[in-house]
Amino acid sequence: MSLSVDFMGIKLKNPIIVAASPLTGNGNMIKKAIQAGAGAVVTQTIANEVRKNVRPRIAANFYGMQNIELYSNLTLEEWEREIYDVKEKGAVVIANILAHTPSEMAYIANKVERFGVDAIELGISIPHGEGVELLISDKKRLYNLTKTVVDSVEIPVMVKFSPNVSNLTALAKTVEEAGASAISAIDAIRSILEVDIDKAKAILPTYGGYSGEGIRPIALAAVANIAQAVKIPVSGIGGIDNYKNVIEFMMLGASTVQICTSLMKNGYDKIEEILIELERWLGEKGYSSLEDIRGQALDSLKSFEEIPIEPYTVKMKSQCSGDNCTKCLKSCIYDAISIRNNRIAIDDSKCTGCGLCVSLCKKEILYLDW
Amino acid sequence: MTNIRKVSKLAGVSVATVSRVLNHPESVSEETRNRILKIMEEENYVPNSIARSLSTNKTNTIGLIIPNILDPLYPSITKGVEDVFFKKGYNILLSNTEYDAKREKDCIEMLLSKKVDGLIICSSILGREGFEIIMKQKVPFVLVGEYIDDSDINIVYTDYLSGAYMATKHLIKAGYKVIAHISGPMNRKVSKEKLEGYKKALLEAGYPYDEEYVIEGNNQIDGGHLALKKMIKKKGKPDAIFVANDLMALGTIEAIKALGYAVPKDIAIVGFDDIDVSSLIEPKLTTVTHPVYRMGLTAARLLLDYILDEEETCFKQKIFIQPMLKVRKSCGFDNRIEEIFS
Repeated sequence: MSLSVDFMGIKLKNPIIVAASPLTGNGNMIKKAIQAGAGAVVTQTIANEVRKNVRPRIAANFYGMQNIELYSNLTLEEWEREIYDVKEKGAVVIANILAHTPSEMAYIANKVERFGVDAIELGISIPHGEGVELLISDKKRLYNLTKTVVDSVEIPVMVKFSPNVSNLTALAKTVEEAGASAISAIDAIRSILEVDIDKAKAILPTYGGYSGEGIRPIALAAVANIAQAVKIPVSGIGGIDNYKNVIEFMMLGASTVQICTSLMKNGYDKIEEILIELERWLGEKGYSSLEDIRGQALDSLKSFEEIPIEPYTVKMKSQCSGDNCTKCLKSCIYDAISIRNNRIAIDDSKCTGCGLCVSLCKKEILYLDW
Repeated sequence: MTNIRKVSKLAGVSVATVSRVLNHPESVSEETRNRILKIMEEENYVPNSIARSLSTNKTNTIGLIIPNILDPLYPSITKGVEDVFFKKGYNILLSNTEYDAKREKDCIEMLLSKKVDGLIICSSILGREGFEIIMKQKVPFVLVGEYIDDSDINIVYTDYLSGAYMATKHLIKAGYKVIAHISGPMNRKVSKEKLEGYKKALLEAGYPYDEEYVIEGNNQIDGGHLALKKMIKKKGKPDAIFVANDLMALGTIEAIKALGYAVPKDIAIVGFDDIDVSSLIEPKLTTVTHPVYRMGLTAARLLLDYILDEEETCFKQKIFIQPMLKVRKSCGFDNRIEEIFS
């Protein structure tokens, strides 16, 4: 059993890529990611002009993280040495680059290709510092940017997507037509993490990118959407925290995944932990490679016409021992669940089979049946 | 006096390695590099650049030709150029042309006779034949400024027409009806392009184009001042003015205030260039970013590519750097979100 994957024609020892982020801001940081076992690393966004970063610029809470960090603080010239260094260590390096016109983007792409990177990711979905409308949002501009870069380099080009657009499918088709080798999704989402109500002040002084576990459901939908629309591979990004999340993304069509927030919050040990668990799970299930599970769950996504309406109501596997948990009771908006003689009782005539209580039941006593 | 041979002997490396430390430090391992640098310091070794020029046929100097160092655009370009070249061990020889074709030609000839390794020419007013002499000597060069069509010339350009169009359209969007223009000197192509952008936005929105609402200025602060006074005398007060550069916009705002009007309440202003002071004055100036620093960086990078890798010259590059609208307070547009994100 092997965790290796073929991604855009590049052989990765495993599907875990460290995403473009403050974590990948220079060669030494990238080396740490490689030493921790990552299959590949995407550099922090490399642009023509370095912009100074504000302080503070990263804030996290239980659900996720907001950052207002702009791009790499290293110049294009400085990246030459950094990339040379990490390539010497045998790392697979993808350069995340940003420019506003096709010719400028192609120039930077050419440069980083000569520095020796293995692939390019167009960082055109950054939710802060780049205008209300994302660069990616205009189909014609997206096509021109992608096509010009694809035509001017030999290495594969991946385009990073944001859910802050109205038609993901059309944009995915556009980059496929323009010759991109892959799509990565999703970038951080425009956000304000929290407001300090005593000071009447947003926690960070401008809109930023939201990442971490809170965005995972949005990311899963985006990846599935893209995987169902185009044939080029997808790199899934968004709130990956454990091996199950990796499998979720892959089952929805991702070939690789990118991780950042969880590593920033918990440290690099996460990578090994995920890889060990992933291998164990695949082995237990009898899969020989990740290719076996890729896209497996896509068939479970149906249009409403295809979903049969069956007379499900909620049932109990056994009587609940209680422990003062009344989640099912409180969450039943149809008043179908009550307590009679200290026991949970379900009124079949009121239950509409919505399923909310089933997903909330920690003891997994509730299930739907007919 | 210590020479390169002595340094190499003391360090126990070849002369070529010492030379690489001087010319391509990134190609020498950090340990060796530091050892050699330490010996150089101890021995007070200073490389003889003239001797080096003779042996390498390179002078490690480049020529930078700009119209006028007092125009705040050109220090930014110069900084961009130097930020790239200094780290690579190059000096810059700077020349001002004062927008004079004869002087620009002389500057080129003088810099070529100094055997510069390459040339960057900003806002050139020479046509193609002006560059023939550079091409004949096979000296790499990059132009910075407006687009030219010649396929065998490298250029880093921005689009003044679309920048002016953006600025004028923004004033239309903000609801102003009578929108005037204070232009730059009309003998410059850039001024004509900005006027075209202004005109295009007006006509597209179904506004009349009135030549009398276009007053020519000199691109300096006093020019903006005089143009505003002339306009008020001739046509009365417009609702808004697109001023062709920020320097003139500063003069215009000053004149508006002196006449007892307020910006943007009585007359809204949008400038062009986004010079440093634009975000400091009151009201903060809405303007079009003229990405001069980035253009300087890009031109320098492009030139360096050609200097270091002569085979690369098979195709020339034209790199477009996008102008962008910076919404601030002087245009009276009270949509704060665009101010944050522009």
